[in-house]
Amino acid sequence: MTSNNKSIISYSFIGLFIASCSSVQVTEEAVYEDSIQSIEVSSKRAESSTPTESKAVLANATVYFEFDSFNLSSRSIQALKSITMLMQDNSEIEITISGHADERGTREYNLALGQRRAESVADYIELKGISRSRLTIKSYGEEMPMIQGSNERSWARNRRAEIN
Amino acid sequence: MKKFLILILLPNLLFAELLLEITKGSENPYRVAIIPFQGTNSSVNIIVEVLKSDLIRSGEFFILDEEMLLSIPSNIEEIKPSEWKLLNIDFIVLGNVIDEEPFSVVSPYQIYDVNKKNKIRSSTVFGIPGKLRQLSHYISDGIYETVTGIKGVSATKILYVNEIINSTDSDYILYVADADGANEQVLLKSSEPIISPAWSPDSKKIAYVSFETGMAKVFIQDIGTGERELVLLNDNQISSPAWSPDGKLLSLTLYQDGNAEIYILNLLNKNLTRLTKHYSIDTESSWSPNGTKILFTSGRSGAPQLYEIDLTKLNTKPSRLTFEGNYNAKGSYLPNNEGIVFPSISNCFEVL
Repeated sequence: MTSNNKSIISYSFIGLFIASCSSVQVTEEAVYEDSIQSIEVSSKRAESSTPTESKAVLANATVYFEFDSFNLSSRSIQALKSITMLMQDNSEIEITISGHADERGTREYNLALGQRRAESVADYIELKGISRSRLTIKSYGEEMPMIQGSNERSWARNRRAEIN
Repeated sequence: MKKFLILILLPNLLFAELLLEITKGSENPYRVAIIPFQGTNSSVNIIVEVLKSDLIRSGEFFILDEEMLLSIPSNIEEIKPSEWKLLNIDFIVLGNVIDEEPFSVVSPYQIYDVNKKNKIRSSTVFGIPGKLRQLSHYISDGIYETVTGIKGVSATKILYVNEIINSTDSDYILYVADADGANEQVLLKSSEPIISPAWSPDSKKIAYVSFETGMAKVFIQDIGTGERELVLLNDNQISSPAWSPDGKLLSLTLYQDGNAEIYILNLLNKNLTRLTKHYSIDTESSWSPNGTKILFTSGRSGAPQLYEIDLTKLNTKPSRLTFEGNYNAKGSYLPNNEGIVFPSISNCFEVL
């Protein structure tokens, strides 16, 4: 190591001497490398905390949205009406509303958009007299497409909120 | 006047190993001749090979084929500038590799400027035996910076997520690799999505969004030890982490207000400061190089656009930065206040 350092010093002198009119960069660098640990997590998706047997009646529906929009269509409202009626008649039903986006746009904006879609559904159901405490809201953004594919048909199916 | 640029990154998902290919570079690349390095053949071959591909991948360099060399000078004094002018060469790189495996590997190199008839850099890289690619990346960055005046990125690392989607189950794998895609290593493997990985400024930690608990949550993971923790414990989604330049703060998108809003989390005392308050989406925060401004995406105009908050004037309205196009998102600042970069979707929603 010491001999290397010496040779650098002599380089720098030569450098300055030859290039008296322009500057010479004389440097030393040591390659730096971090150690890396890899880990694995696996999770069973806990969709609902309610035991399945108590769910005599299942409230399931999927509603769809326009690009970059979280407004409910009249068709969506029809679907939500039946969900709301089911929940009014069966006070034990609790639902999870998962919002989704199509693959276009950025992942984080789509995560927020999916959440707004789930919120739109929740707002409607709450407006119809269902307690917010029976609703769990989350978003998967563009991460869980219903169908793969980069075309208008796939995108339309993927811009959705799933109720279950 | 701010410069706006569009960045496109295309990882090739067909290959297990990441392949980054730049298909078109500068119209007027710097023309460089790399004189075959002196030293043990096997090491020299790897080092020069990686060095060439680093420089070519940057898009800024043309490297003269070895067969085209008219002479092989063994030192700077033997260079005849007229000969290199014939070949239109701007810079000549000379070097050697002192390889004493398993103890040390050292590579001194020089850059000669044909037009100035001068040596413009003399440097020595002390490498790690068995990690010759890394050593080349350091040489490549030295050449890049000396010639272009901009810091090179070959010795940096990249984070990315690979999704393996099957009909029954899926795998999401967060990787770290060298900037050229080599030396790929798994940081986290999960059955649920992982998005938005972000380096801490000292590169020792990463923050990312993992859905492993059933909803989006931000984790911080120590790269060296594998230790990881949830940044905040609450019942709501948390996403879009970005480190402040000093590494002490993390900006985040919290959903506790029923809508995406940006907060700053003090990592030491876990204090939260709210930055945005608007009924539309506010997310994708990123810090200015000096840490005084935050750039973010907001839907407040009716479509995603970029806005900026001055952290020294917290009570003033965020200022809007983008006006053209109806989808401008996920912006980040360029170093030295040169502007911002962001993906943009044109009116027909075709390009991202």
